[in-house]
Amino acid sequence: MNKIKIGIPRALYYYEYGILYKKFFEKLNFDVVVSPKTNIDIFNKGNLLAVDEMCLPMKIFLGHVNYLKDKCDYIIIPRIDNYGISNQTCTNFLSLYDICNNLFDINILNYNIDYSNNVDEIDGFLKMANKFNIDSFKALSTYEKVKEEVEKENKKNIILNRKKLKDKNTKILILSHSYNLYDDLIGKPIIKFLEKENIKVIFPNVAEEEILLDEAKKISKDLYWKTSKKLVGALSYLTNKVDGVIFLTSFPCALDSLAFELAMRKTKLPYLNLVVDNLNGFAGIETRLESFVDILRREIYV
Amino acid sequence: MKAYVGIDIGSISTKGVVIDQFGNIIKESYIWTEGNPIKAVKKLINNLKEIPKDIEIKGIGTTGSGRKLIGLMLGANTIKNEITAHAVGTLHFYKDVRTILEIGGQDSKIILLENGIIKDYAMNTLCAAGTGAFLTSQAKRLEVPIEEFGDIALKSNNPVKIASRCTVFAESDLIHKAGVGYNTKDIIAGLCKSIVLNYLNNVGKGKKIKGPIVFQGGVSKNKGVVHYFEEILNEKIIVDKNSHLMGAIGVALLSKERETDKVYTLDIENISFETRGVECNGCSNHCDLVKIYKNNKHIDTFGNKCEVGGK
Amino acid sequence: MYKIVIPQMGDYSTPAKYLISHIIDCEIISIPITNKTLELGSSNSPLFVCTPFKYTLGSFIEGLEKGADVLIQFGGGCRYGYYFELQKQILEDLGYKFEMINLITKGEFDYKRIKKEIERLGLKLNKLKTLYYIFLSIKMVKYMDKIDFYIREHIGFEKENGSFIKLKKQMLKDFSTTKNYFHLKYMYLKYKRKFKKIELDNSKRKYKVGIIGELYTLMEPFANYNLEYELAKMGISVKRYTNVNYLLFEKKYKIKDYLSKTKDYIKYKMGADASDNIARCKYLCKHNYDGIIHMKSSFCTPEIGAMPIINKICKKYDVPVLYFSFDTETSEVGVKTRLEAFFDMIEMRRTK
Repeated sequence: MNKIKIGIPRALYYYEYGILYKKFFEKLNFDVVVSPKTNIDIFNKGNLLAVDEMCLPMKIFLGHVNYLKDKCDYIIIPRIDNYGISNQTCTNFLSLYDICNNLFDINILNYNIDYSNNVDEIDGFLKMANKFNIDSFKALSTYEKVKEEVEKENKKNIILNRKKLKDKNTKILILSHSYNLYDDLIGKPIIKFLEKENIKVIFPNVAEEEILLDEAKKISKDLYWKTSKKLVGALSYLTNKVDGVIFLTSFPCALDSLAFELAMRKTKLPYLNLVVDNLNGFAGIETRLESFVDILRREIYV
Repeated sequence: MKAYVGIDIGSISTKGVVIDQFGNIIKESYIWTEGNPIKAVKKLINNLKEIPKDIEIKGIGTTGSGRKLIGLMLGANTIKNEITAHAVGTLHFYKDVRTILEIGGQDSKIILLENGIIKDYAMNTLCAAGTGAFLTSQAKRLEVPIEEFGDIALKSNNPVKIASRCTVFAESDLIHKAGVGYNTKDIIAGLCKSIVLNYLNNVGKGKKIKGPIVFQGGVSKNKGVVHYFEEILNEKIIVDKNSHLMGAIGVALLSKERETDKVYTLDIENISFETRGVECNGCSNHCDLVKIYKNNKHIDTFGNKCEVGGK
Repeated sequence: MYKIVIPQMGDYSTPAKYLISHIIDCEIISIPITNKTLELGSSNSPLFVCTPFKYTLGSFIEGLEKGADVLIQFGGGCRYGYYFELQKQILEDLGYKFEMINLITKGEFDYKRIKKEIERLGLKLNKLKTLYYIFLSIKMVKYMDKIDFYIREHIGFEKENGSFIKLKKQMLKDFSTTKNYFHLKYMYLKYKRKFKKIELDNSKRKYKVGIIGELYTLMEPFANYNLEYELAKMGISVKRYTNVNYLLFEKKYKIKDYLSKTKDYIKYKMGADASDNIARCKYLCKHNYDGIIHMKSSFCTPEIGAMPIINKICKKYDVPVLYFSFDTETSEVGVKTRLEAFFDMIEMRRTK
């Protein structure tokens, strides 16, 4: 019998759960297909499916689902309601499942998380496994094994990221949601450009999640979006350790419109506010980056 | 002989026609609005007046963004929004049209029809990116006359991709592209293509575009834009030689439907017609009112949200 | 005595003023929304924040200029809940000195926290009195909303122009003099009778349209260019479900029912009022409404998410739908043109 094929869109929460999904299902003997790195074709197709006013990452996500739609038996569409009352998500993550279900004719493998109603990450994984009649015990032990591996990897990344702080070169913290930062069309070109300019690029994962969430309170008492809190936390954590900050937003991000505005008003670091709207033009971004780097360097060497 | 006048007052141009009872054009005129619809219409009417003496005007219709003001000024029997007017006008010439694409100076719209009935329509929501104003401003920047845009665009085999949703974004990207040394013809082609993509993404989103397709509005004169519409939609695009007059013709036809015994005159030169903007302090709404005076007599007020301001 | 600003949202400033002025010793500064409010608000707001942020920020600035020293923000779900902290920061950066209170935090009204905040200002809050006036204002909201349902359905067909609006103004004025529950109820019944007595010309009655969308834009006429009234003038009776009474009390119970009725389209509760609007859309389509208008402030994420599904439902039932996304740059003429064309389209569909 052929193995069941599970598709994972390389967008939005892929950068939080993707590897976990992949390892989990591979260990359970499934075939896993991850959509390729975002390219213009994927974006254009997503853009045509999306409502014009949707944000850039949403359009990209729809493009990835579109890519996978006839290449696998199931596609994982996460729906993240909240991580508790003070750790909410953008409303897009609440409606992702239903939007995709209405736009595509696909089998969705449902990964639903809702901490306020006692549905946590483990439940999410067990439910996915149950759909294929895998017993909970086996699923649980697989999940725990895989989770440990991923956690180890995450810790390693944090250490690597922190090592860069000791570097003598100009250091820039780049603040953005993981689905912007690690996307091949949004964040990657920016990171590449900066590295070519001999800048040490510091990512927001400079400490464990709990530490960042706690650190965020120094800047904001009220913020209740988890990803925004982590970013603001990283900003506070690194206040004296970097030379400048780039706020990278994709248009028109609901969370960033408020959280970044507050952070920009509160931070004492020099910052650049970058808004990415469409994926065809990098020239304008390049000019902004270049002049920002120039300004920082002058400040350091004068 | 009976005749009907239709006038379409847009933000950039003002169009007028006189048609006979079969919808044939007797006289037409097309001038710039130049920010002053009253003055423009006076000039337009002057042009339209050159018609045979035996013609009796049995209806006047107005459409476009200045329809109410000018309708009042001319005592029109029909004041209609431009969507309906365009649909009616186009249907008169193309009975089986299914889709009307329209890109004007500030607005763009799509109208879907089925058996001569409007089934669905949409207008631009976000900004001016997908409209003629954007092309005009870019033509100025590139120092190329807008009239030549279409022909130049057709020469390009390699239209530049332009980051395009918002005018501001597009403009800054364009400056960079020009700075990096792209060819003018490729940039112009890129602009034409971006208009089409923007239009389809914003106005045409989720609409099933079926042929026959008629394309109108000022931008329809641009062959480059027509070319990219055909390329992307993979359908033939009809551009009528009178496409810019469709709104005016439509509203003239509508005025015919409402014909009474009344006969209209086009002698308006000596009528003084004036608008004054004031802020109403009648209530807490503080509406911005436009008071309209005909021969120094107050005849109407626009912009009031309640009964207080109307006085 | 403290001077307090409460941002306006439709006619709800009447019960809001009534409540605040009865539980604490203060003067309330009315800030009606005008173009100036919007200008002040949007020039000091982040670019792509939703418009209620801009409206309320503008009201605060106007209030502070008029000498206010306490600002009250409502808070709530979605992005509303976070307005408070950022607006406070923006106003402080502008150099104003003031106190600010957020009513609803983490999705609820926390009496203890509010009491503390008010005592910090050196004012006293009596629990019994507060609860009593909260009760009265809630009742007032309920009655207003009930009357509004009737008004929306019939205002387009009044024989004498302006009779509904005139009577409603009178009613709000009387409501703000409420002495006790029985007095309020008596007034409500009186006005209900009076509204029913307004003479109607039912021959004008042509079509019915349902309005759904984002709450602030729906409830503040300035934010939607008085759209309901414009529809009424065309002879359209209007159905709109979202009101304060719904949001505060009914939503909790209705959401399950809504989800079960729209099982064929959605499975989960989507953000803010998106699922509610999808359910209403289906209801309106099934009950032969002539058209649906969906409106929101620009960049309203949950409603954007609902749009593809609303589209699908309307296509299936072949009901025309008109979308509005109101920005601070929206032109009133454009709104009217779209509405008129919508009306023409409905008429063509029905008559041919």
